[in-house]
Amino acid sequence: MQKTKLGDQIKAIVGQDYFFDSYEDRLCYSYDAAIEEAMPEWVAMPGSVEEIARLMTLANTEGFPVYPRGAGTGLSGGSVPLKGGLVMVLTRLNRIREINQEDLYAIVETGVITSALHEQVEALGLLYPPDPASMKVTTMGGNVAENAGGLRGLKYGVTKDYVLALQVVTPAGQVVRVGSKCVKSVSGYDLTHLYVGSEGTLGIITEITVKLVPAPEHKESMMAIFDDMNMAAKTVADIIKSGVIPATLEFMDNTSINAIEDFKKIGLPRDAQAILLLETDGVKAAAQHEAEKIIAVCKANQARDVKSAATEQEKLQIWEARRTCFSALARVRPNTILEDATVPRSKIPEMVRGVTDIANKYGIQIGNFGHAGDGNLHPTILTDLRNTEEKQRVQKAIDEIFALALSLGGTLTGEHGIGSAKAKYLENEFGPEGLAVMRAIKTALDPNNILNPGKIFVADTAIA
Amino acid sequence: MEFMESQVEEVIRCMKCGNCRETCPVFLITQDESQVARGKIRLIKAVIDRQLELTDRFQDKIYNCLNCNACVTTCPCGIEVDELITAARAGMVNAGKPLPGAQARVKANVVVHMNPFGEPREERGSWLPAALQTPRLSPNLYHAGCAVSYATSRTGKALIRLLQAIDFDFTSMGSQERCCADPYFRMGEQTLGRELVEQNIADYKRLGVETIFTSCAGCLKAFKKHYGDTFRVLHVTQLFASLLKEKKLVLAKSLPKKIVYFDGCDIGRHSNVYEEPREVLQAIPGATIVDFPANRENGRCCGGPLMPSHPDLAKRIAAERIAEAKVMGVDMIAVACPTCLVNLKEGSRLVEGAPEIHDVIALVHRLAGVK
Repeated sequence: MQKTKLGDQIKAIVGQDYFFDSYEDRLCYSYDAAIEEAMPEWVAMPGSVEEIARLMTLANTEGFPVYPRGAGTGLSGGSVPLKGGLVMVLTRLNRIREINQEDLYAIVETGVITSALHEQVEALGLLYPPDPASMKVTTMGGNVAENAGGLRGLKYGVTKDYVLALQVVTPAGQVVRVGSKCVKSVSGYDLTHLYVGSEGTLGIITEITVKLVPAPEHKESMMAIFDDMNMAAKTVADIIKSGVIPATLEFMDNTSINAIEDFKKIGLPRDAQAILLLETDGVKAAAQHEAEKIIAVCKANQARDVKSAATEQEKLQIWEARRTCFSALARVRPNTILEDATVPRSKIPEMVRGVTDIANKYGIQIGNFGHAGDGNLHPTILTDLRNTEEKQRVQKAIDEIFALALSLGGTLTGEHGIGSAKAKYLENEFGPEGLAVMRAIKTALDPNNILNPGKIFVADTAIA
Repeated sequence: MEFMESQVEEVIRCMKCGNCRETCPVFLITQDESQVARGKIRLIKAVIDRQLELTDRFQDKIYNCLNCNACVTTCPCGIEVDELITAARAGMVNAGKPLPGAQARVKANVVVHMNPFGEPREERGSWLPAALQTPRLSPNLYHAGCAVSYATSRTGKALIRLLQAIDFDFTSMGSQERCCADPYFRMGEQTLGRELVEQNIADYKRLGVETIFTSCAGCLKAFKKHYGDTFRVLHVTQLFASLLKEKKLVLAKSLPKKIVYFDGCDIGRHSNVYEEPREVLQAIPGATIVDFPANRENGRCCGGPLMPSHPDLAKRIAAERIAEAKVMGVDMIAVACPTCLVNLKEGSRLVEGAPEIHDVIALVHRLAGVK
């Protein structure tokens, strides 16, 4: 069928106000927060599950690709329409359907903003722990599709640990329900967790049931300053070894510290080689006891100084460093590439050293900060991609960072997803056999390869 | 479209994180990516890269921005979005692209009548007492601004009576007062804007003006941004705050109400005046002054700048602010900007049981007990 006729059919499904095909509009759906961009042929914002199902049926029959999209904040190109086709914007499905305080779950539509759910459940004394840095704009559907993490991952886990059930529209346009509201459910295959983190390649997630937990009654915040990065990195492993799982355990290296001080003078010591930011939470006595243990471990590892927040104001000051970190790094050079190669936390010292060596080897600037407690650092490359020679060095450095993470028993991505940029490395993590299993699943669920083609698998290799 | 090197650099620095989606008032209503800073920046980049002509659609999107700077507060890269949007508009003007209808009307009105509304020039100062109809030598100049002169002159009259009652020495351009040039700069007519600024500066210098105080937040922004540092520029609420401190102004009557101060974008983010309007309100006996959850540099725009071009959108944005205030259970919203005053009043018609809306200046006049 001709493209214009297909466009008319899409328009007929979603209505004129929610269909876009001008160059200007399409350009604004050609990107997410990753580097790569591609133009879609059409953009549609369906307003119901039924419209989504009809769009999928049309796409499957006519064979055009569909790229589901939430807020478009992904860092791996998950929503970029590499093969054109239709970008399906899911933000109109944005109702919180139910918050159940007895059974501790919430049911949300796919386009609900993550922090909107946070606000609603926290008002009831509950917690939905996944807290990706972009939570004030990201959608729940996007979080589930990418299996988003966040600062609280160490103690509370990530999105996958909270998804109980899903409603999904299949590539053929069928509406299916997977999972259960029950804490225990072993009925059939665990399809819920097949869809979580599937990066929009297996189905359109339309409704999500998430588990909630009671909010902790008390929090303790600490900042530990180190003269030796290796000692800071070792402290991370030692804290866990001491039997304490902090709610948050964030790391910042000297490059990050200085970027923060250049941007906003908040009084961090510029000569410090690393800073750890920590938080314990729970019952007051327990949180305080854990904080004391943490302080002891920091001191035993030659922390120059350990600051404990006595007031809310001091708490805010401690976390301002972390909140400012990325903004500060982002202003150093024109382009910022945020990676998320992850290692077992005991390997953090080697990973930090290794990334520093790689930065020196290729003469590039890398700020290292992130969720050290769960091994999920964010090596942040500060560069100018207009400089083609530097761009090549950056690419080589990225290749080596991934290889390093894998050699330490790590993984390519802790929370951003494979998308298109990391697809070429995936075989290095799972081997051809592992990749073949993934391909078989993709082929079984999306035989015509219409959903988010070009992601996870190197372009055109999804259908073997 | 000709861009300066610095703007090209700004465009490149956008990392497309999408954090601007959190605060953009236009996006929050339209949910359309092409209306948020990230989308607009991408469109501007396409023009710079010569992938996109200066189409009407591009123009419409670039003009559908409040210049409220809310996105700047959430941008990790610190991109000056407001400057970029204005530069893109100027680029279109310089390339000879005709202005969109609403802006073309505003421009014609300023050219002919020296105000954006097309009101008769000769009536500009008609609300002023005779002594202030014509300028005289004075270190203090009161600039009413177009909105106060034509739309909210009750605010202006209240101010004049108040200042005369306390023997504050000042002059006014009266019926000779001109637009501050903000509309020109905002629509991208930089050359016209600079010419008007030069004319105004020459007049003010002739009068020996040292301090300009204005009851209009938009004019305040323009004076601070485009008039160099020849004059000290104050918003009337700043003048009030210091007069209250010096006990030259006393609020005698009480007002036992819960009042929320609305941080307008021109007085707030653009001019960095946050505390003085609050200090003035806090001097009201019996009043409880509260803040919106998003306040000061995080304050949300009323939508007013879109009144001429997108009136429905402007009203819907205002209605959201009114609804937020209603949830807080306040009796009154106090504003320090005539545009906010007019547009919030428009929006309040869409919200049942909306709180009252008053200009801080009018409130002060009422409570100071000056006739």
